[in-house]
Amino acid sequence: MTPLAPVASAGLAALHAAAAAAGLTVTSSASWPETDADGTVTPLAGFIESTFSPLLAEVAVRALRRRAQPQAPGSVTAVVMVTALGDVTTATRVAAAVDAGQRASPLLFFQSVPNAVAGYLAARWQLTGPVVCVSGTNAGVAAAALLIEDADADEALVVRVDLAVTDGDRDRAAAILVTGPEHPSTA
Amino acid sequence: MTDGPAVALRRAEGTVPIARRGTASVVVTGAAAVSAYGRGTEALLSGLLSGQPAFAPVRRFDVAARRVPFAATMPGCPELITEVTSAVREACDDAGLSSPHRARTPLFLAIHGDPAIARAPEADQPGFGPEAFTAAVADRGGLAEQPVRCYMSACVAASTAIADAAAMIARGQADRVVVAGGYLVESDQFALFDAGRVLADDGQVRPFSAGRRGLLLGDGAGAVVIESRESARARGAPPLARLAGWGRTGDAYHPVQPHPEGHGMARAVTAALQRAGIAAADLGYINAHGSGTGHSDPAEANALRLALGDAAGSVPVSSTKSLHGQALEASGVLELIVTMLAARKGMLPVNAGFLGADDSCRLNLVLGEALAASPEFAMSLNAAFGGANTALVIGLP
Repeated sequence: MTPLAPVASAGLAALHAAAAAAGLTVTSSASWPETDADGTVTPLAGFIESTFSPLLAEVAVRALRRRAQPQAPGSVTAVVMVTALGDVTTATRVAAAVDAGQRASPLLFFQSVPNAVAGYLAARWQLTGPVVCVSGTNAGVAAAALLIEDADADEALVVRVDLAVTDGDRDRAAAILVTGPEHPSTA
Repeated sequence: MTDGPAVALRRAEGTVPIARRGTASVVVTGAAAVSAYGRGTEALLSGLLSGQPAFAPVRRFDVAARRVPFAATMPGCPELITEVTSAVREACDDAGLSSPHRARTPLFLAIHGDPAIARAPEADQPGFGPEAFTAAVADRGGLAEQPVRCYMSACVAASTAIADAAAMIARGQADRVVVAGGYLVESDQFALFDAGRVLADDGQVRPFSAGRRGLLLGDGAGAVVIESRESARARGAPPLARLAGWGRTGDAYHPVQPHPEGHGMARAVTAALQRAGIAAADLGYINAHGSGTGHSDPAEANALRLALGDAAGSVPVSSTKSLHGQALEASGVLELIVTMLAARKGMLPVNAGFLGADDSCRLNLVLGEALAASPEFAMSLNAAFGGANTALVIGLP
């Protein structure tokens, strides 16, 4: 059987570079697509029409499952989301419904902010740290580093999602789990 | 795995580790706001102290198909970038910041996104990203071109930005940051909140009250200049307030509902008090998140009882969302400004719309009319989808 070809992830490389620049230790990582097998992301119950939240959850869970050491009891994990444009699909669908004089689906209300999928992840994985969403990779990693240094988190899950905007683009996502330099999980 | 700083903190049992710094080192030197009460902080304070909620039927766009037609809006169709930029400029003016100082000051902006992106042609959408919007505000406001940072974490976006700015300054990573936020009531979010059946169909927001029926949206844009005490002193700028403490946490409970016992928010409150180096009894006012929804208000009351103990029954509390409405991503900066204005004036705004006590929300609410009081310390609370919580403590200089 031919092994699946890995797909390079510029988003993941950028997250790693930003983490290194911030002096953070990357303890786990993941991306989408990771191989050619990553075609259609698995839907996420309660989230509709847009791949933004399912993609964010997929790469986040991959990174969480790959952590080398289990989460320490009582450890606080922040969820930091990074997105250049946000959930454009949901925003566009809502605008179309409004312009057509139709009611929007109540489910779109919940997913209209990135916090909802962060809350889904936090509940499933007991991530009790702050929930943050910012616009750029460097800003996201810097925010994560500050939360750890400022003692509102022990580690941070930083997830970047970029939905395809034009024909020919692919949805892309990447995630890293980071700790401060003085508290590496491998210690 | 060794203990991280947050674990070590909880094991310290009462001692505040050096990792949580806050007291005395960070100040607010300028503020500006616009709301349904009009432009400027004086209009905001005057409207709040009138005790008259600013809600009315929406005329800005068609609400005929909506279940609920109410919001707190300014007249006309103001532009988000114009209002946010004006707030940034006015806050910088208020702080007495020179052009060279502004040009070295970064902007943290809290918005839902560029309002134009949803209706832009697909190929053009990358040009309507939040970072480009933030950069445009920084440019128009004369602030530093880089770094700019846009926060989009719903109703804790601005308060998180403020906490981050304060932490950066307390740790010597920045001398000064301008934090701004803006939300102006528009058709798409209004339609979503209406579809989610969270809007109050009786046209009033009644936080912590029996018979509360939900939230209502409100226009809000605001900006604050946050800087180190040394930086302000060097410029001869008098502080409006100290940003004494901050905390940010997550509930880890549900995608969109708060933890019913308020565990996450209680931790945020505790962290903010620790950074401020004060006890619960030192708080003289709490500007609550107080959305006026069924689940959120009892969770917040539980959080306050958990974090403050007996003081939760005596500290005056009001949610000014009952007056100016829910300004979404801008809430944190608008309500921090409200908290500062109230503390400086010595008048605490009323918790409007109150119909009667709800046993699940027992707090010392400011009822009937504004309360004369001179709190040395006051707290502003915010919560959002995803179980996100923030607490900000200000102290009078």
